Amino acid sequence: MLFSNALIGLREGLEAVLVVSILVAFLVRTERRRALPLVWAGVGVAVALSVGLGAVLTYTAATLSFEAQEAFGGIASIIAVAFVTGMIFWMRRAGRTLAAQLRGQLDEALQLGPVAVATVAFLAVAREGLETAVFFFSSVQSAGGGTVLPLVGFLIGITISILLGWLLYAGAIKVNLSKFFTVTGVLLVFVAAGVFAYGVHDLQEASLLPGLHALAFDVSEYVPPNSWYGALLKGIFNFSPQTTVLEAVVWGGYVVIVLALFLRPHRGAARPVQTRTGDAK
Amino acid sequence: MTTNARTLLPALGAILLAAGCAGQPAGDAPGAITVDASDDACTLSATSAPAGTIRFDITNKGSQVTEFYLYGEGDRIISEVENIGPGLNRQLVAEVPQGGKYTTACKPGMRGDGIRGDFTVTGTAAAQGGAAAQAVTDYKRYVDEQADELKARTTQFIAAVKAGDVAQAKQLYAQARIPWERIEPVAESFGDLDPRMDGREADLEPGQQFTGFHRLEKDLWVTGPQPDTPAIADQLLADVDQLVAQTRTVELTPSGAANGAKELLDEVATGKVTGEEEIFSHTDLWDFKANVDGARQVVTALRPVLTEKDPKLVATLDEKFAAVDALLARYQVGDGYRLYTELTQEQVKELAAAVDALSEPLSKTAGVVAR
Repeated sequence: MLFSNALIGLREGLEAVLVVSILVAFLVRTERRRALPLVWAGVGVAVALSVGLGAVLTYTAATLSFEAQEAFGGIASIIAVAFVTGMIFWMRRAGRTLAAQLRGQLDEALQLGPVAVATVAFLAVAREGLETAVFFFSSVQSAGGGTVLPLVGFLIGITISILLGWLLYAGAIKVNLSKFFTVTGVLLVFVAAGVFAYGVHDLQEASLLPGLHALAFDVSEYVPPNSWYGALLKGIFNFSPQTTVLEAVVWGGYVVIVLALFLRPHRGAARPVQTRTGDAK
Repeated sequence: MTTNARTLLPALGAILLAAGCAGQPAGDAPGAITVDASDDACTLSATSAPAGTIRFDITNKGSQVTEFYLYGEGDRIISEVENIGPGLNRQLVAEVPQGGKYTTACKPGMRGDGIRGDFTVTGTAAAQGGAAAQAVTDYKRYVDEQADELKARTTQFIAAVKAGDVAQAKQLYAQARIPWERIEPVAESFGDLDPRMDGREADLEPGQQFTGFHRLEKDLWVTGPQPDTPAIADQLLADVDQLVAQTRTVELTPSGAANGAKELLDEVATGKVTGEEEIFSHTDLWDFKANVDGARQVVTALRPVLTEKDPKLVATLDEKFAAVDALLARYQVGDGYRLYTELTQEQVKELAAAVDALSEPLSKTAGVVAR
């Protein structure tokens, strides 16, 4: 009971913590600490919104229709992908600028506006926040009914995810900057691809997209979702052991296109920045 | 990016707003179908439900995280709830307007096809006739709420009785009966439950045991706790449980509900106004008020139907309900009411007259609804 609920906390927590910790590490490394409050504001708003809506759904006479929930999760995921993709290329460009010793022009180079910074943080947390909040409240309710184990397990899971996020952050602070950009950039590509596929899956479940039962592969025998490694894979890369064809196509397409663009040689003229969000689609 | 952010944020806000507005009354899920999900079983308290809003109350009694799905034809997901941790309880609300064959599934470990079962949805939500069907749904919700309330309050009352705390039990007695009196016509429809729970000593047939609320009333107010008082108390609580379970499955009709409202007023006229119901505790006015409130709830639920068919009747009912309320309010003492024995002959007459005046138009509602 403790373990299973801890895995849920870990998985849901990681999905948010991962992106936020990279965002924070990036802002700290590039001496943009003054943008940090925006990150925490985005996180705070998302948490408040999720917890508020979760409490309303749990304790009052309200429910969200299934389609609305899935559509919300799905659309928020896909918007999040657009933003994270923007961030990936923003980091790439910033890395190049820094490599060229143009620290003085950093602010000019970092064109990601404050609203966008807050939005990335917001989306990273809000995406799974509602589901997590509802889960949290139901475990609180069961704690009132006598079993604290689910609540304790859930909190342990969240704590571990925050710890992992912090370790990632601490590690990111140590590596040299150009390596940091490459490593976190590549990591983010896979994270975003997972979020993209997951969002597509939500929309398939909401019947907004077809092909829910056309599975590309099913490895749930080998990677059970309720195992610790299944939870980690899901938490970090949104890996689903039962992946639909559409999910696989979206995931593969995203990784191939974005990774190629991200890793293409730096030399030559700066590529047009405006096409970035277009690549995410 | 900045421009994107500015356009996207309001968009997300709109999604949230739309999501928020999709909220619908659910309460504590009265009438929900309970689902016991374990690692190797998926047990539903009912495998069929009328079309419309169907609620499932899922409890994960297994050791793995589970999910619960309701599928339509071709495994189309009607509704699902994910991430039900072991020991947790989650609710699923499904909108199913069309009758037919459906499938439920629990998925312990969140994988595979899950433990499946057939689920039948009867009728079509729209075909029942909008306003009347809605009235029944609204009233059914009220009945379910009151049944839950009855259980909660009786549990407290019984606890006090069994603890031997006579003073406390006396205080809780009339409170516990309020939800009962509000939905009495529904409760009475379950055969021998009503006489066992609410039988009066004077109405007993030879050889019948005196049990239920009024037996405890006598123990508390007249004789003091008896050797079998705890057993009687336990029986009452068990009967309440059974009653709550049976109200869940009861099928109501608009005219049936309207007839029930009339019965409630008859109850007032034959029992409460005469002081016979609570012969030991004299808390008749508590019951009186509860009966009237129960009847009013029927009218409230039926209001759209009645307004359409006979607006004048609705106006009369409002007026007569208000008159009874005003009269009752005079005898209110704190949360409760004056004891029946404290009323004068004149005051009793006055109450009886007000009830009769309300009873007359109320008796017409069933006919109007069926029209």
